[in-house]
Amino acid sequence: MLMCRDLAVIASDYIDGELPVFQKMSVKMHLLMCRDCRTFIGNLRASTDLMKAHSSAQADKELIRRIDERVAEALREGPQNPASRDTE
Amino acid sequence: MAHSALNEEQALIEGLKTGNEQSYKEAVRTFTPGMLAVARFYLDHSSAEEIVQDCWVTVIDAVQKFEGRSGLKTWLHRIVANRCKNRLRNSKREVPTDFSDTLEPELADRFNSKGRWDLPPKLQFHDSADSLMENGALSDCLDKHLSALPEAQRSALMLYEAHQHKSDDVCNILDVSASNLRVLLHRARQKIFLMVETFQETGEC
Repeated sequence: MLMCRDLAVIASDYIDGELPVFQKMSVKMHLLMCRDCRTFIGNLRASTDLMKAHSSAQADKELIRRIDERVAEALREGPQNPASRDTE
Repeated sequence: MAHSALNEEQALIEGLKTGNEQSYKEAVRTFTPGMLAVARFYLDHSSAEEIVQDCWVTVIDAVQKFEGRSGLKTWLHRIVANRCKNRLRNSKREVPTDFSDTLEPELADRFNSKGRWDLPPKLQFHDSADSLMENGALSDCLDKHLSALPEAQRSALMLYEAHQHKSDDVCNILDVSASNLRVLLHRARQKIFLMVETFQETGEC
């Protein structure tokens, strides 16, 4: 029988739909009977959604500025990119 | 990918192929965070930034041969991963990664010897992710905890959740097995779960 700890181990696989059918059924049965695990799965899922919403994941502005500069310089230097000259 | 997104990506690729600086600016802003997440899986912070910068310069040439067999994002992430792997090969360094435990110790301690909850989660996270994110303090706290995640876990989480790669792509880019990716994702999610729980219970990060 699936215990709460076992469910915590496979919780992400359950959330992502990665469990085999039999195991998924065991989790569903357990969740019907166990409020604590329902809360846990709900909260783990909410944390995952939160992470997605936070995915603004901006790179450091200074790094972006340095990349812009290097790219612009490389584009100006040109021979690596003859097509750019045709369009200007 | 939706039809309009595909068209947008095609237009961006054309811009990159013709050396349009504005297209590069757009692509750099869109793809650098993910490229950095890949590089940080393999390398320390400053080497990772260096590799990503070098990759963008390489892209100017390489994009001419880009045939669109994969999406632009996946292609860029693979370039970064290959460069990082080459650098590691040259320095004979290995990426130390711990796949041994699936449960975070802090969570594992909350079960009794019979495998039942001793300290179950007390609060339900009622608010939606969007309304939670309006809480600036929580957002700062999330930033802090994301930065503190082990590199392997953070990269896996960023690529899978934030940059929405499929599992197969993440495994390919990070050179990890499917089962190890599951461990990395689960460990990272538990840490974020524990952080949000502490924040909701105590208001502290």
